[in-house]
Amino acid sequence: MKKMGVLLVSVVMCSMMLDAKDYVVDQVKKTFIPHEVTLHVGDYIVFKNSDPFAHNAYTDDEANEFDIGMQATGEDIRVKMKAPGSFDVECAIHPNMLLEVTVK
Amino acid sequence: MKKIVLACLLMGVSVLAQDTSKWICPSEVPQPEDNKLTKERIELGKLLYFDVRLSRDDTISCATCHSPSRGWSDEVPTSKAVGFQGRVGPRNSPTILNSAFQKKQFWDGRAKSLEAQALGPIEADVEMNMPLDMLIPKLNKIQGYKELFAKAYPESKGVITKEYLAKAIASFERTVISPEAPFDKYIKGDKNAISAEAKKGFELFQGKAHCTDCHDGWNFTDGSFHNIGLNDGELTGKELGRYNVKARPAWYGVFKTPTLRDVTKSYPYFHDGSVKTLKEATVLCSEGGRYENNVKNKSEYMKKRDLSEDEVDAVVAFMHTLTGPDVKVDIPTSFPQ
Ligand code: HEC
Ligand code: HEC
Ligand SMILES: [Cu+2]
Repeated sequence: MKKMGVLLVSVVMCSMMLDAKDYVVDQVKKTFIPHEVTLHVGDYIVFKNSDPFAHNAYTDDEANEFDIGMQATGEDIRVKMKAPGSFDVECAIHPNMLLEVTVK
Repeated sequence: MKKIVLACLLMGVSVLAQDTSKWICPSEVPQPEDNKLTKERIELGKLLYFDVRLSRDDTISCATCHSPSRGWSDEVPTSKAVGFQGRVGPRNSPTILNSAFQKKQFWDGRAKSLEAQALGPIEADVEMNMPLDMLIPKLNKIQGYKELFAKAYPESKGVITKEYLAKAIASFERTVISPEAPFDKYIKGDKNAISAEAKKGFELFQGKAHCTDCHDGWNFTDGSFHNIGLNDGELTGKELGRYNVKARPAWYGVFKTPTLRDVTKSYPYFHDGSVKTLKEATVLCSEGGRYENNVKNKSEYMKKRDLSEDEVDAVVAFMHTLTGPDVKVDIPTSFPQ
């Protein structure tokens, strides 16, 4: 019975991992597109940059803190969501760019 | 044929309409939910703004460095702010014009709102040098102020705290908005409001000179932070700019793109006040910065744009059209006792 349980848990875990999804957020004309994203723990935001100049994305949210550094045109950067919560992501160069993230 | 002409005309008009909207001043100023503008709050904030008793030796008010007669910037054309007993601060006083529309306050963006910003200069030893734990009791002894706070913020019951002080000052700052400049008349359709040279300058500003890469929209800033190469080599202290707020690689030596409204009045230029004329500032910005090489984290928008002298003059002529008429501010002459 215990073994079954472990098996079940690991199957569920595996399927959760396989289920991890990519959510693309592009940076176009100094805006995040889309400007809101809702995803689950373990999912990834894939930041793209379609502008002819550098961008950035960071958050100071404690549980999900990240800073992708200077992102050149055409570069893709994947960031894993670590914990549930709602937080804002800004571009360090253009603080008028705002992305609202909800992690479930 | 007629149809084509009409279609072209319509297209032209719609393109124009689309292109000009970002240059039109918004009709409403943003206000936080917990500090909506009221007449009482603005009036109270104005008194505080001009009241020298907010400084330790009763000589300096906010208006000393952000004076309505000097484009809401310094009264003295020295490069750095001169504050308490003539002490010189590390940075040039920026204008507070339209600061209500900024998401980040100060050259390095360290304050997120006008409320968060207002208390900084009172305490700074090079500005008003008045610790809040001295100022708050001092204000609470002025009966006239207690009454005004009670009216403006009834829930304060006339007990002045630093939160209410910040809110009142911020309310006044939200009314300091650029008056209609020749450029505004031009963009709304008065084709004669600015000279032919200024029109050419506007084209260059958006085109060959690439100024709108950063100075974009009606307030002539997109709020972005850049290292424009005023210094080379390793930076230290205040020259690190926003990097002092947090050591993000993208923030090394960056400063906020300032508004260019009333820019003719806000000399000297740049955060360090190192440039005296608008023409020199324009040359610097169109030549890829003061230092071309050996600038760590220089903005990629800072490139040589190869403007001729005539073209530089045209851009300067254009910037002159962003200055509005002098607004008559009724500076309070008597203060609450
Ligand atoms: C001694 C001169 C001095 C005094 C007095 C002073 N300031 Fe300033 N102010 C400055 C300087 C210098 C800066 C830029 C500092 C920085 O960015 O680090 C500044 C920045 C600001 C900004 C940010 C503008 C922007 O574009 O980021 C605002 C708003 C402001 N001050 C309002 C006030 C208010 C309100 C008071 C009175 C409570 C005041 N100041 C008193 C010199 C002064
Ligand atoms: C990379 C973005 C960028 C571009 C492109 C740019 N600027 Fe600026 N500009 C800034 C920043 C940032 C500052 C403040 C820098 C500092 O003080 O460290 C500034 C400052 C200025 C100032 C001084 C304003 C003041 O109140 O001190 C003027 C004038 C100016 N720019 C004009 C121009 C003109 C004209 C162009 C086009 C030829 C231009 N700029 C291009 C970002 C830019
Ligand atoms: Cu950006």
